[in-house]
Amino acid sequence: MLERKEYQDYVSQNAPRSPMTRTLIAAFIVGGLICCIGEGIGDIIKLIFKEMSDKDVAIWESCIMIFLGSLFTALGLYDKLGHYAGGGSIIPITGFANSVISPAMEYNREGVFYGICAKMFTVAGPIIVFGVVASFLVGFIGYFAM
Amino acid sequence: MRTIKLKRPVYIKSGFTIVGPKEGDGNFGDCYDIVLNDDIWCEKSYEKCECKMHRDAITGAIKKAGLQREDIDILMGGDLLNELSPTSLAARNFPTAFLGLYNACSTFGEAMLVASMLIDAGFAKNITCSTSSHYSSAERQYRFPLELGNQRPPTAQWTVTGAGCTVLSSEMPSQMNERVYEDDIIAIDENMNIDEKTLEKYKKSIDKQKKVINISKSNILDGNYGKENNDYMRVNSHCAVVTGGTLGRVIDLGIDDEANMGAAMAPAACDTILTHFKESGLTPGDYDGIFTGDLGRFGRDTLKYLLSKEGITLPGYYMDTGASYYTPEQKTFQGGSGAGCVNTVFNSYILKKLQRGEYKRILVVPTGALLNKDTPLQQETIPGIAHAFTVESKAF
Repeated sequence: MLERKEYQDYVSQNAPRSPMTRTLIAAFIVGGLICCIGEGIGDIIKLIFKEMSDKDVAIWESCIMIFLGSLFTALGLYDKLGHYAGGGSIIPITGFANSVISPAMEYNREGVFYGICAKMFTVAGPIIVFGVVASFLVGFIGYFAM
Repeated sequence: MRTIKLKRPVYIKSGFTIVGPKEGDGNFGDCYDIVLNDDIWCEKSYEKCECKMHRDAITGAIKKAGLQREDIDILMGGDLLNELSPTSLAARNFPTAFLGLYNACSTFGEAMLVASMLIDAGFAKNITCSTSSHYSSAERQYRFPLELGNQRPPTAQWTVTGAGCTVLSSEMPSQMNERVYEDDIIAIDENMNIDEKTLEKYKKSIDKQKKVINISKSNILDGNYGKENNDYMRVNSHCAVVTGGTLGRVIDLGIDDEANMGAAMAPAACDTILTHFKESGLTPGDYDGIFTGDLGRFGRDTLKYLLSKEGITLPGYYMDTGASYYTPEQKTFQGGSGAGCVNTVFNSYILKKLQRGEYKRILVVPTGALLNKDTPLQQETIPGIAHAFTVESKAF
């Protein structure tokens, strides 16, 4: 039989790869569309509530996008979009909502406490940890730099 | 010496399969005994559904063989989930000895070999070999939640939702299979010690459960008398006999990509096939069917490449059951995998062909990748294993 190294080379050369062009274009279009929808929602909020500050508009916009991501996950549509778009639907905030809601739905059967609450962050956990650590570091540096 | 030659014939009495809807649309869709219309079968979780499929595959196979559950000496089986939970939970419904086996997707091969050795040695008369897997329960254990919007890599395989059971016996089977009715599959189990309230609930759910199952076209009697593919009206011209096999070795050539199981398993399949031909003195030309488990399309090509390096060319009838399981339109990339993959194909498609005498001698090589969710994270590579067993058809 082949040597380890020889076999690993054979596999890495011959294993089927993702079609780069198609996946990149799909991710670009879908990711861009999701961001456009977010911007559109922001503009609509601004039109309705003229006195709202830009910061508040951004918060409301994120909330609505998170809600939409969760809703489409619950309806079983977001994973179909994800199969097609890949990174395009994972990177925006809707993808983050999907990564929290999908384990919550999956582990619903083990009960609320040890199921939903315990397993909800199995996928999104690292993102939250890195987010908290990064904001702490930036805040720390910012405090002394100011 | 890893190759076994049985001294006494071990007959295959019957085979029974239950699969999910996606599998029913696949290439072997007409051959299964039961195709479910949904993949949860009125249960609260996919794990419970897998357990029920497993239990009812065993029930169906025992019934089809014309036996009672008391006639079975040992239940042997396994699946992919932690601590073999579906198999163990299914086994509590049977008043028989139970041996749980695990060799990942090659569990079926392991069960067939161990069972036929036990029967050959005279320790048991009737043994059931069953395995099951479920796409949704396996996905949750090994990969990500179902609704997560991630992309599957092109080397990924689709875990088969299916359970199958073979009844091995030292006695010759009858020429006609027993008819299995819906009521035999979904029946109230007298051995279950449950209170009246649960029993009432159970009775109510039976009709609902029946609506979900879809007895395969080939098993429906009305008006099809004499039709060739009619399983229960057909008089089998041959019976299938397990004659031996080769036990597998764990082979690791350092593949660490858990999304590319085919590449991890192909060297093990190659090793087992080479050993089998070397130790038995047979050549690929002595067989008229060679089946590997669930290498997938890439794994199948890798196996062909590995064997060609050793000077063995696999003949044109060689088939990988995983690669052939689904149609290309079903977008499973590499094809089917899982403990139920080779089992459901063997107990439906291959067994029927053996009983018609279309195959004289076949070699079945179920393959398995031995990993759990944590080993790749701990930088372990993925070893593979493959067991081979030979089945011959003998005229009645």
